[in-house]
Amino acid sequence: MFSKLSPIQQLLVRRAFLGQTAVGVGSLALQSLLGGASAQASETSGGVLSQTPYPTNVKRVIYLVMSGGPSHIDLFDYKPQLRKYHGAELPDSVRNGQRITGMTSKQKSFPCVAPMFKFHQHGTCGRWLSELLPHTGTIVDDIALIKSVHTEAINHDPAITFLQTGSQQPGRPSFGAWLSYGLGTENENLPAFVVMISQGSGNKTDQPIFSRLWGSGFLPSRHQGVRFRSGADPVLYLSNPAGIGASDRRQMLNAVDQLNQIALESVGDPEIQTRIAQYEMAFRMQSSVPELTDLSQEPQHVLDAYGIQTNATDGGFARNCLLARRMVERGVRFVQLMHRGWDQHSDLPKQIRAQCRDVDQPATALVRDLKQRGLLDETLVIFGGEFGRTVYSQGELTATNHGRDHHGRCFSLWLAGGGIRPGIEIGETDDYCYNIVADPVHIHDLNATLLRCMGIDHERLTYRYQGRDFRLTDVHGNVVQKILVF
Amino acid sequence: MAADAAPNVSRQVRSLLSDRCYRCHGPDGEERKAGLRLDDRNSATRPAESGATAIVPGNAAASELIRRISATNDDERMPPPSSNKSLSPAERELIRQWIDRGAEHHEHWAFSPPRRPGLPTVRNTAWPAGPIDRFVLAKLESLDLTPSPPASRETLIRRVTLDLTGLPSTLADVDAFLNDRDPHAYEHVIDRLLASPHFGERMALDWLDAARFADTNGYHLDNGRDMTAWRAWVINAFNRNLPFDQFTVEQIAGDLLPNATMEQKVASGFNRNHMINFEGGAIPEEYLNAYIVDRVNTTSTVWLGLTMACGQCHDHKFDPFTQRDFYQLYAFFNTVPENGLDGNQGNAAPLLRIPTIEQQQRQRELTMALSDAEKQLQAAENHHRQAQSQWEAKVVGDESVPADVRQHLAIAVDQRTADQQKAIETFYAGLLKNQPQWSDTHQRAEAARKDLHALENSLATVMVMSEMQPIRDTYILVRGQYDRRGEKVTANVPSSLPPLPADAPRNRLGLARWLVDAQNPLTARVIVNRYWQVLFGVGLVKTAEDFGSQGELPSHPELLDWLATEFQHAEQPVDGSPAWNLKALIKAMAMSNTYQQSANIVAEWRAHDPENRHLSRGPRFRLSAELIRDQALAVSGLLKHRIGGASVSPYQPEGLWGELSSRGDSKSWTAQFFVQSHGDDLYRRSMYTFWKRTCPPPQMSTFDAPDRETCTVRRARTNTPLQALILMNDPTYVEAARKLAEKLLHEATSDDAQQAELAFRWVTARRPGARELGVLVQLLQSARQRYANDTDAAQHLLNNGESPRDATLNSSELAAWTMVASAILNLDETVTRP
Repeated sequence: MFSKLSPIQQLLVRRAFLGQTAVGVGSLALQSLLGGASAQASETSGGVLSQTPYPTNVKRVIYLVMSGGPSHIDLFDYKPQLRKYHGAELPDSVRNGQRITGMTSKQKSFPCVAPMFKFHQHGTCGRWLSELLPHTGTIVDDIALIKSVHTEAINHDPAITFLQTGSQQPGRPSFGAWLSYGLGTENENLPAFVVMISQGSGNKTDQPIFSRLWGSGFLPSRHQGVRFRSGADPVLYLSNPAGIGASDRRQMLNAVDQLNQIALESVGDPEIQTRIAQYEMAFRMQSSVPELTDLSQEPQHVLDAYGIQTNATDGGFARNCLLARRMVERGVRFVQLMHRGWDQHSDLPKQIRAQCRDVDQPATALVRDLKQRGLLDETLVIFGGEFGRTVYSQGELTATNHGRDHHGRCFSLWLAGGGIRPGIEIGETDDYCYNIVADPVHIHDLNATLLRCMGIDHERLTYRYQGRDFRLTDVHGNVVQKILVF
Repeated sequence: MAADAAPNVSRQVRSLLSDRCYRCHGPDGEERKAGLRLDDRNSATRPAESGATAIVPGNAAASELIRRISATNDDERMPPPSSNKSLSPAERELIRQWIDRGAEHHEHWAFSPPRRPGLPTVRNTAWPAGPIDRFVLAKLESLDLTPSPPASRETLIRRVTLDLTGLPSTLADVDAFLNDRDPHAYEHVIDRLLASPHFGERMALDWLDAARFADTNGYHLDNGRDMTAWRAWVINAFNRNLPFDQFTVEQIAGDLLPNATMEQKVASGFNRNHMINFEGGAIPEEYLNAYIVDRVNTTSTVWLGLTMACGQCHDHKFDPFTQRDFYQLYAFFNTVPENGLDGNQGNAAPLLRIPTIEQQQRQRELTMALSDAEKQLQAAENHHRQAQSQWEAKVVGDESVPADVRQHLAIAVDQRTADQQKAIETFYAGLLKNQPQWSDTHQRAEAARKDLHALENSLATVMVMSEMQPIRDTYILVRGQYDRRGEKVTANVPSSLPPLPADAPRNRLGLARWLVDAQNPLTARVIVNRYWQVLFGVGLVKTAEDFGSQGELPSHPELLDWLATEFQHAEQPVDGSPAWNLKALIKAMAMSNTYQQSANIVAEWRAHDPENRHLSRGPRFRLSAELIRDQALAVSGLLKHRIGGASVSPYQPEGLWGELSSRGDSKSWTAQFFVQSHGDDLYRRSMYTFWKRTCPPPQMSTFDAPDRETCTVRRARTNTPLQALILMNDPTYVEAARKLAEKLLHEATSDDAQQAELAFRWVTARRPGARELGVLVQLLQSARQRYANDTDAAQHLLNNGESPRDATLNSSELAAWTMVASAILNLDETVTRP
């Protein structure tokens, strides 16, 4: 009554005969049927989504993560009325029971602070921006500003974990890992998901970051972000050791390949074939990665546009932005730049000015550069942090100085590129930049929207783990249709 | 076959219904639609709210379920299109047949206690070496398959040595086994390996993943912690073959055992290995809740194979566990006198101070010295007190006595107030202290007290469990939110599993004993399955972490139950060996012919068992991260075999931690900047590598080691180019290649081919074939020429790694052999357990 082979087995058999990679129709079904990772180990290029349910031309993401929580009040969320409340206590009716971090919960007074910076209107859309972001002002017609992002988290660890993985507690895959899993890579010689880190000029002794922010959680570890670093080894262990040149390596690998081939003949395990292919890819990476990270071929005017200087104090953010462009040009699926230093508990006016100087020009140059090269339509760019900051001062408010605590109830971030309606603004906050009064966008909504840009239904990109089909947006998330062009 | 098929169909249907239907028609009362519950036969076979009956046993045509899953209209079809779930025609047919045959309902297999099955009959009676093989062969024969031939002896000894000790077999071991004509030679090898102290290390490896062991606290600044003593306890427990039930009880509730020893208290550290937070400004209650939730999830996964995590926010969607069940388990663990925010100084309370043997000795000496001195002081005081009245009589009117004391002395003893009497005594005691003998003793006591205090403060600590009095109240937390309390609950086990015995304490000790109670249907199965996974690469239940409805069905259900009951010795203790005997379980698996099969895949057979789920061949899989490195260290002679001790920091690229952390500004934070070890500590087994949770060692995580943030009982096995880069370029492996080459050049062989063969055997245990040898010799010759022409390059290559280089050897020759050794260390065969 039953045939000897189950449908799953038949699929596997077919795959085994076809060779080591099973990309395309059927692999999504196979993945969900097998409910696990190991059978997929051989696939390096294809994602589980052989085709995305929504048409899209967006292929890649650059996520500029402003780690620490940039102040929306001082940068994006212009409230001229706030001047009136400067120095006055935050009314209880505004705070409305909002929980406050342990850092300011014992503070006796909560005086409101208006930004100590001027705001100007930019572009044909007339967007108001802080004087700290003059370059960003020149691309406001290309970006969509969301002023009503919100999160439940009020501390760095859970908040940034939430932003990057859709969960405050550790253990879930990061956004880039989900995309690597769903869409695979476009370049056999480079990783699908790359992370670069820079320390900004602002707060240098606070919030740490963690590898879980580019981790694969319960997804197979090959989906985790690969950290690119400056220096001789952009990818860990990329360079041959001293005393081994490229031709030595080639000879050694020829021997390894031959021996593996002999083993394959006698043992018959297709995993050996995969290993041979992985060694070849490693060898190719030894030339493709240095080629990628070598900026010497970039013309001076490009370096200047990004503001790349040898003695820059931006921790390498400008260089990373240019590298991000070079990566998406070469088909890297997800590039995550982490720029640290946005945690302005004290000394905000000085620190945030320095932080903005780090990022304003390079981020702007990146968007413009992508646009000029015709890549912006295919690339989604996101700029923002894990939360915003409080309207009230942390610590003493003086004529020239103050700090701000963490604020998750509303904050701003911007999007640009493929799928994003340019020059618009979404969401509105109250006079105190404290509560959202229109169009709230929860982190889950944001992630659902970002996936939708990539043509993915956030409810359908799932992975079975411990009996449950997990997704980036957990059981939440509504696509913010208004921000999308399709 | 037909008779066996019915329960099989029932299981398959159950599994289908669970996956496609339970979300809305399953155990979760809040989400249930139309009042229909398909996991409960009574509910499914009576008219639902609509009046229709979902399942009419024996009559699929009359069953609403069949009508709805076959409906073409989107509004009617089940599962609804919006659920993103669907049933294939074959699956619908299976359900239809199941209903027509009576819709026999079986409780989910894992929730019924394992019954010891009879041994199946097999046609090929010569093949089975024992019961395990009987079950495996019976299945193979039913599929018209045959087992593979036995693996070669070289393969076998390498396989079993790696599996049981995590180390490669030495060439001496291989040769001894090859030459041993004793029919019990293989058994002797197994007995030797089980007795090796490295057995405990190997078994501990998986346990560290399960226990989410790490050297840092994991959240935010992620500074150091020290659970060395707990890790040592685990290794030791495996080595002394502590019965697994006792192993369980001590780790869950060692602190609550009557007259708990220090070791038993250390064992309870299992449930303190979770992450701990102290981020400035974080809310303590939120994290206290996270720790307790972690304990529930970890304990449920490790012992019960259950995914209790769902219950934190709502009733389980697929398995019969409610949110109440979750918080009743939570109550067992909500009893620890701990802080929500802690760990900024390392280990978080409650702690145990653990002296070394020497410290214990010193502690005893000091305690004795102190008590001696105190006794002497007491004796002297008693003596002098008797002398006090004589003294009083003598000093009346003595000018050397202060005026106020003189006045008091003038009053008769029975007339003095308490204060007056006290003033006299104090003055008198002061006089005594000035006497030389008294003051010496006094100083000795003080010194001993001070030293003892200093010693106690210098003792290493380990985090342990302990029970607070009174315990905290536990509430169901609405939607899992720490600040939204619902109904109050008390500690209990899930209601769909056997109850706690009436006389069992309602605390962790009661829970621990319940986990290993003979009535518990899950624990023994879950545990034997995980050791099957250690030896065979994949569990009989592939989803080792999920034995619930959504987990995979066991490939050999009867074998699983046979092993579980054998492990428990629930019904028929065989040879007087204690129950829950892990070494006996592992020996039985390793002795089976199933285990000893060749892993070679015959092309025409592969189609019949593509994933080897029928066990028609030997298991072959990539070594785990730790074993790949340990093997390279071992075959090159670099490995230091010391067991236990504090974590060490072998080579890793510079700056990896520093780029993520930020608290180098203060000495009060630890583990912020990586400090590499030197000397012996560079070459210890990888299980001792310092594990920083927010930046795990890349040599390990690139080979699929988990981040240890949460419990893991099954690792992925991937095959990536980053792994190739590590094996080619990480100084660990370049140095190992050099040391292997040095070792080789000291061997008394002069022929290149012989030498290459020896190197190949050291690593793979087998002799290379002529073609393989040809490839190695050719590589050697070209490398020899290359390094003879470029002695600088040879020098550079040999400078990799901190271990001193053997200067007596010719550098070009050594460099060439280093290249050959590196090629061997990079082979698929080398990183694969054969």
